Amino acid sequence: MAVKRSTILWAAVVAAAVVLILLWKPTVLVYGVQRAGLYAAVAIPMALVLGIVHIVNLAHGELMMVAAYLAYFVANRLLGLDPFVAMVPVALVMAAFGWLIYKATIKHALKAPELNQLILTFGLAIAFSQIANLAFTSQSFKLSLSYVSASATIGDVSFGVFDFVYVAVAVLLAVGLRLFLQRTRMGKAALAVGQNPRGAAIVGINVDRTYGIIFSIAVGLMGIVGSLFLTKQAIFPGVGGPYTMKSFCLVAMAGVGNIVGVLYCSLALGLSEAVINGIRGYAGWSNIVFFAIIIATILVRSYRERKR
Amino acid sequence: MAISETSLKDVLLFTFDEINKAGGVLGKQLQLIIVDDEGKGDKGVAAIEKLATVDKVDVLIGGIASGVALAQVPTMKKYQIVTVATGAAASTTVEKALGPSPDSDWYFHLHPWDYNQGQSYADGWDAIQKKYPAIKINRIFLAYEEGAFGKSSFDASKAIFGTRYQFDGASFKSALQGGSDYSAVLEAAKEFKPDLFLWAGYAQDALPLLEQSKAMKFSPPVYLGAPPAWPADMSKSPLAENVMLYGMWAQSINDISAASKKFYDAYVKAVGTAPTSYFAALSYSAVYIVADGIKRAGGTDKAKLIAALEATKYASPLGETITFSPSNIIKHQGIRNQKILQWQNGRQEVIWPFEVQSKPIVYPFPAW
Repeated sequence: MAVKRSTILWAAVVAAAVVLILLWKPTVLVYGVQRAGLYAAVAIPMALVLGIVHIVNLAHGELMMVAAYLAYFVANRLLGLDPFVAMVPVALVMAAFGWLIYKATIKHALKAPELNQLILTFGLAIAFSQIANLAFTSQSFKLSLSYVSASATIGDVSFGVFDFVYVAVAVLLAVGLRLFLQRTRMGKAALAVGQNPRGAAIVGINVDRTYGIIFSIAVGLMGIVGSLFLTKQAIFPGVGGPYTMKSFCLVAMAGVGNIVGVLYCSLALGLSEAVINGIRGYAGWSNIVFFAIIIATILVRSYRERKR
Repeated sequence: MAISETSLKDVLLFTFDEINKAGGVLGKQLQLIIVDDEGKGDKGVAAIEKLATVDKVDVLIGGIASGVALAQVPTMKKYQIVTVATGAAASTTVEKALGPSPDSDWYFHLHPWDYNQGQSYADGWDAIQKKYPAIKINRIFLAYEEGAFGKSSFDASKAIFGTRYQFDGASFKSALQGGSDYSAVLEAAKEFKPDLFLWAGYAQDALPLLEQSKAMKFSPPVYLGAPPAWPADMSKSPLAENVMLYGMWAQSINDISAASKKFYDAYVKAVGTAPTSYFAALSYSAVYIVADGIKRAGGTDKAKLIAALEATKYASPLGETITFSPSNIIKHQGIRNQKILQWQNGRQEVIWPFEVQSKPIVYPFPAW
């Protein structure tokens, strides 16, 4: 099978970048990949919802925050469960919560203008963070888990290895969702609904139920991600907001519904942020670079599409 | 009256309750209206607008983050309500925005400014090195969050320490602003090989920063944190052991101060847990200072209240008597000193000033 010239070019550019980073500061590569794993794990459920249900869920990060609180207070404090064990019941509870949110709110806004949908999910985001603020105050909570400080030493360089869990989870989510969408009856139905809801309804697929299940799966996955997030990060009511923004940008950069694309885009952004952070005195530029890359990608894509 | 920051809500509630149960002030009950700024400038500004125009409060109390205070200053200046501020250390932004007397005479700043704190730390480390010859500090590294608080801390620390020590620093994105990775700043610090590593960020950064330091095997002889508050779970973490900190109050002050013991007992009785931040003692003090001021002013007439607050002499739970005097810019500066403390067996012990020392220093910070 002939490999495209552009693919070879991209592979060469990536390989050259990796070699340069390794020669400059090998840990930048490690931390860039780890950061990418976290971004991708958080963004993939949003890509699923946007690709199938066609709604931008601005409460995405707040759902991760809710899951993290659930894992902290109910699963850990009350039941003494480690977050890795807690992620199973938390995912199930969150999936049920997702179903409830879909039936009570999202379902009624699907045919409304996009602005209304944005306002609805933005309202949900505010409601979740305010409820957390009222219930738990703005005090931060953090579990002390010895395994998050696991490290490796190569030569005289020591670095944390726990964050590779984010990479593993992101890959598992991407591969798992791809298999689900391509190999299962439900997944195929979801793809059909995502591509053409009217056509899918004509051939007998229950569109509303499919939307509900997909939204519920995505929120359930946020239960896994939220529990995982709790292992390493402090939680507080505003912790989810920045991740909604980053996830949305990644999903937009990857292209609507492109779950595997989210992995690549996260890698590009994680590495570029790590490189910027690695240059002394320029850490504050990482956000600017993040958005510059996204803007450039979207512009290039729209230029290419216009050319076609 | 009003307060920002939900974390301080409980202490305000029980302090008002304590005063009102004791008969109130001038025979009247004090009324508390709480608005949480959630650490966000826009919410902080909206809170001042509401408290000034809807609730028409006589006094504003509270605040922690410098960034929020900076956003609030123009609105505060518009209404010029008598304010007892418990937070905001950034002098280059907040104090400058407030401006000199008489335009800022309605503002009573309890918390030390960053340059007050820096001077206090310099004095403290000089005294510690003199008393404990094994402790030698030549190189200091400051990891600071990239917002107003962190940048201001860096500028003030560089001005004070930069001439006497080899001083370096780098910024990081606080978890409060969506950051999650401290590797770059820790690598820079590790490369510098500091005798004293100091970080200026928020409670959300405390444990993740320690965990990442451990993962990177970074254990400087002095590991010191200067967040406005510590996370609720800090005392339970084994990583906290022998971490040093700057603060104004610790439970160990109860051993030498009756006022501190009274505050602590009241707090535990009302809230059910021990305070996690010196801001609790600071807020408690702020309410008593205001109540005492109203009493001496004979009411809430603004000019009389300002004059009464200027004459404050309050034996606080912080282990010192609070009075107000001019700072570099404003007329009413309260506390100027911080204390150097250390986590030992889950408790914050006072290391310096020596007159209130509760435990000797553990040095060096143990390697991971």
